[in-house]
Amino acid sequence: METRPLGATGQESTVATFGAIALNWLEQEGANQMVEHVLDHGVNHFDVAPTYGDAELKLGPKLRQHREDIFLGCKTQERDYEGAAHKLERSLDRLGVDTIDLYQIHGLEYESELDEITGDDGALAAIREAKDDGKVDHVGLTSHGNPGLIRDAIDRIDDLETLMFPLNPVVAGKDDDEHDYEAVLERAEEEDIGTLGIKAFAKGSWPPTSDLPEKDRPYANWYEPVDTPEEIRDRFDFAASQGLSTVVTPGDPKLVSMVLDAAGRYDGMDEATQRSLVEQSRHDDSPVPEQLHH
Amino acid sequence: MAGESPSQAVPETVETALADRLVEGRVCLEAGAGVGNATAGLLAAGAERVYAVTDDPDHAATVRDRCDDATDRLVVVEADLRQTPLRPDSVDLVTAHGLCNLLDPAALAAVAAELSRVATAGCHLVVDDYEPLPESAAVRDLFAVENAASELATGRSALTFYPASLLRRLFTGHGWTFDRETTLLDPVPWTASHLSAHAGVVTDATEDLPPELGDPLERRAERLAEAIGEEFAGTMYSVAMTRREGDETP
Repeated sequence: METRPLGATGQESTVATFGAIALNWLEQEGANQMVEHVLDHGVNHFDVAPTYGDAELKLGPKLRQHREDIFLGCKTQERDYEGAAHKLERSLDRLGVDTIDLYQIHGLEYESELDEITGDDGALAAIREAKDDGKVDHVGLTSHGNPGLIRDAIDRIDDLETLMFPLNPVVAGKDDDEHDYEAVLERAEEEDIGTLGIKAFAKGSWPPTSDLPEKDRPYANWYEPVDTPEEIRDRFDFAASQGLSTVVTPGDPKLVSMVLDAAGRYDGMDEATQRSLVEQSRHDDSPVPEQLHH
Repeated sequence: MAGESPSQAVPETVETALADRLVEGRVCLEAGAGVGNATAGLLAAGAERVYAVTDDPDHAATVRDRCDDATDRLVVVEADLRQTPLRPDSVDLVTAHGLCNLLDPAALAAVAAELSRVATAGCHLVVDDYEPLPESAAVRDLFAVENAASELATGRSALTFYPASLLRRLFTGHGWTFDRETTLLDPVPWTASHLSAHAGVVTDATEDLPPELGDPLERRAERLAEAIGEEFAGTMYSVAMTRREGDETP
């Protein structure tokens, strides 16, 4: 599988990163098999979080067995020093490892959070301390929030080394500021910050629960995913050809194999085909008025 | 048609087609304004003025609504593209984005002559359209029904897919020089929304036909749109040309 530099971290990440939330939906034996399956495809970057059910615990055994082969990303939703320091220890304990390669501020949404995180008593202070203690190697941030806020975070966090944010043809086709993750990608490239793409396989929101109760959804993702091999391959190729360092696999274990297959076969996507996917989404998204043309 | 607007984003097809043309400060003509995709792109790229020409009052209203923040630079002209009220030598950039496939050969010839008449020396022309679809494309069946209904109702076909090479030669004959050809979409996504719009054309055309002629066509179009659902087929191209200095329209 193709590898790319993860910004200036020195890490060469495979073009697919395993989103270990998928392990949450499997029993331990199935989780072990899944990790072996992912490693067999050559994936060297895993991403997990304490909020993904018991994914940290289920990742633990195989992570420890293959620790040298896995670049491990984990996250914290804590915003203050105490909380982040505590959650980091908890994750190290649950995963059963001494070091997390990439520790990320998880799910930045509001400007006030950015103030708190970067403050003297903020989560970043705890992560930097852990870095000095050798428990964390690199500092990252994840967000599916306002792209402008993410760009502010780049300005305000000098030692930021990676960013995780959404990128897919639906997002790329919208040219309002609220969806301008391409500007985030551009800014990250300027600063040599590694980029991880999420929601690459999102088709749209689930129907309202009145039409489709949550328990009847066929996938564990919090959005409705594309789910045929052709669509998965198109979506993977699109995301990987935007210039991201790596694309995170979707949260439902049923989809992971198809994504690994697509990632293994990735050899770029020409611009006319990228536009084709953007154009498809543009019309799916705006049925009124219907148009004859593109 | 007004009120609910389509995605206001300028389509990437339009952005790509205009990317290597000088738009800023230019007087532009969007030939066949549709819902104003190219007009929005021209205005966003800094056009001094855009004449959005359409013979469809609904489209005219949609374009006005969509671009109501640029009314000082936008002139929506409700006119026949074969004979516009524009002066000769008055336009610096002409776009025909998805227009030509709606023109039968006679109309295409007349429109090409008219666009050449209003163009200044050095004017740029951007023609974006579809290559003829491959025989394997299922949407061809729907478009065939659309053409049949239109022929019966008006005596003209609804859709003609002209190869890029043919349009290029047509405009060369009017004094334009070829600059470049770009593939905008490969493949072209014919979404459920597009197919439904094309089936809608059939419904409109069959309104003027006797039921024994129109109803089967309408049903066939609806069935095809539903059965196809969505198809990726064919390519969309962009041809750019420049009007030679001092050339007179033959």
